[in-house]
Amino acid sequence: MTPKVSRLTLAAFLGPAVFALAVVGIAPMLFAVWKSLHFFNLTKLAQQKFVGLDNYAAVLTDPVFWQAMGRTALLFAVSVPVQIAIGLTIALVLHRPGLTLWKTLTRLALVLPMATTYAVVGLLAQVMLNQKYGVINQMLGWLGVAPINFIGDPQNAFIAVILWDIWQWTPFVALVLLAGLSTVPPEIEEAAKLETKSNWTVLRHVQLPYLIPSLVAVLILRTADTLKLFDMPFTMTRGGPGSATEFIAILIERVGNRQFDIGMASAQAMIMLALTILLARLYIRLFYREVR
Amino acid sequence: MRLKLHASTLALAAAGLLAPGLMLTAGQAGAWSLEEAAKPFAGTEVNVLFLDRPGYNAIKQMLPEFEAATGIKMNITTVPYENALGEQVRDFVAGGDIDIALVDLVWLGNFAENGWILPVETFTSNPALTDPDLDMADFFPLPLKAFGEWNGTLYGLPFDNYSGLMFYNACMLKDAGFDAPPATWEELKDVYGPALTKDGKYAYALQSKRNETQSADSFARMLWPFGGSFLTAEFKSNLNSPESQAGLQFRQDLMKYMPEGIVAYDHSEAVNALAQGDVAMLTEWSAFYSTLASPETSKLGDCLAVAPEPKGPAGRKPALGGFSLAVATQADEAERAAAWLFIQWATSKANAGTYLEKGGVPARQSAYADPKLAETYKFIPALVESWQDGVPEFRPRFAEWPAITEIVQEWGTKMMLGEVSVEEGAKTIGEKMEAVLAEAGYYDGKKPLAQ
Repeated sequence: MTPKVSRLTLAAFLGPAVFALAVVGIAPMLFAVWKSLHFFNLTKLAQQKFVGLDNYAAVLTDPVFWQAMGRTALLFAVSVPVQIAIGLTIALVLHRPGLTLWKTLTRLALVLPMATTYAVVGLLAQVMLNQKYGVINQMLGWLGVAPINFIGDPQNAFIAVILWDIWQWTPFVALVLLAGLSTVPPEIEEAAKLETKSNWTVLRHVQLPYLIPSLVAVLILRTADTLKLFDMPFTMTRGGPGSATEFIAILIERVGNRQFDIGMASAQAMIMLALTILLARLYIRLFYREVR
Repeated sequence: MRLKLHASTLALAAAGLLAPGLMLTAGQAGAWSLEEAAKPFAGTEVNVLFLDRPGYNAIKQMLPEFEAATGIKMNITTVPYENALGEQVRDFVAGGDIDIALVDLVWLGNFAENGWILPVETFTSNPALTDPDLDMADFFPLPLKAFGEWNGTLYGLPFDNYSGLMFYNACMLKDAGFDAPPATWEELKDVYGPALTKDGKYAYALQSKRNETQSADSFARMLWPFGGSFLTAEFKSNLNSPESQAGLQFRQDLMKYMPEGIVAYDHSEAVNALAQGDVAMLTEWSAFYSTLASPETSKLGDCLAVAPEPKGPAGRKPALGGFSLAVATQADEAERAAAWLFIQWATSKANAGTYLEKGGVPARQSAYADPKLAETYKFIPALVESWQDGVPEFRPRFAEWPAITEIVQEWGTKMMLGEVSVEEGAKTIGEKMEAVLAEAGYYDGKKPLAQ
């Protein structure tokens, strides 16, 4: 029987967390909602006024917003499946018995890309991918490949951002899936391996069901991360050349911090937040049901 | 706070009351002194944002002298250029603690119209605070007007001053049979371009990265010498005029003599390309002279040469950029006075020589009077010539520029990449630019047509 805990104790434990969340999360969000209903430009404060849903209407009918959304969706559609495929492969290799020292070293190495500051990752890319002096082109040169204009060509810049995102976030996916694999009861896994020699069959019918919660977590986190992806492409390409790498978060930063149109940027951010919540609910509804 | 204001108000009042006395003393002793003027404000702290550029580093080296003489403490925060506008706007809106505004010429209208900076006359009218040797006439008129004056009122004094110059590798030009740099843009494209673009080397680099570099260093640079401009006298887009189109089309045609991926080149990449001998010519801000002249950052050595930017059909009209320092309205009385004393000292005639020596570029005509200086600083004759023929509104300086520059950056880059034609790109920029100006109230008489 569970001993009864007083409401005061519950409040004392939960209170600080709720208070912190309210201060750093809820209050700024409510402020952003309020500002999204105003014309509020920092350089034109005298013209500040309530405009209702005008900012939302302007955002939803703005082709630039939808183009940025499209680019973000394409980035997600390409990079996340690749991250899951490579991450799962790494997780399965690390899940196999033996080579304990090497696996420990590999796990440590996997943390490094995630631990690197996003902005630094972008700056590194800018230097490493430089057409003339970058180390990547130098290495390609050893293989007889002519220097590639990674940053200055719209298509190449987009591909470079995808590759860099895959490099940084595949380890995260691998570690989450590795943790998921550790939840598979060893006796079931061993029994399955006695029944079949096919690794695919074991993966599909035994390991994968246990991986669903991890995969849903990966999808939710990577969706949110992709929608707010800013630091790396900003320091790497600043959204260019042209608009080739202007993802949704870069567009919002441009409107809010460079044009100082806080009202419009808040409306864009609210729409992005709604989309993130919607997608998260959708993932849970579609995939999570299997293990509930 | 109340006490602080009270004390500072008293200090200023004391300075005001003492002014006639000081003048008398000055008359008797024969000189106004910074030390005496600063006495009531000793211990005052002044906050300002600086950039990590040679002119700012020069003043930082000179700062101990100012602080020792005045007792005023300067708190300098160094930020990247890209953050400087946002940091200041947010500080001013929030009533923060910045006492001196660092004003890029394209932020001037914004800061002045919002009342964030004070007119210089606020201080020059107070003889206790103003050096009798301030000598406004000694400033080059172009940077003084462009960097400091908005709608007929002077707000700031030019501090970090640039003009676009032509830096070139004289050895590469000599090897190709040229004794001098091109005098005109057409000559650069038609004669020098083909002769110098070979063996993996390029004749010219035009830094065009999608940020202020695209708007200022690339787009605007090609508009003005060809007779184009952003706006007509009625503030309508002038980008589809034959002259503007000629300039923008020229930029497209010139690209074949520039390194591949030039739209990803910011200042550092472009300067490095010249410094490493990969391009023969570069139009770049005067402030980069020290980078190109230093053996630590450049291979050029004696091959480095400097000339004014080439002329176009409409004249030279070189790129113009720079920063003034202005006293922030939000500062309290003592901070305002201390800030003014610093600005006056940093831009003074007396300090211009030291500023130049330490890597800065003063806007004082007297600083360049000695012809021998050109032997040490090769850029000086070209700079002085450039400041004779510039356009203050090279980039419009009104409050709407932050919105307009974003449009130019996006569509200017698309134009260079061939994603849109020059005509289509200019039309789109024009339409979007006019929408911004219409919303601001320029077409219904709510705002004066000042740029």
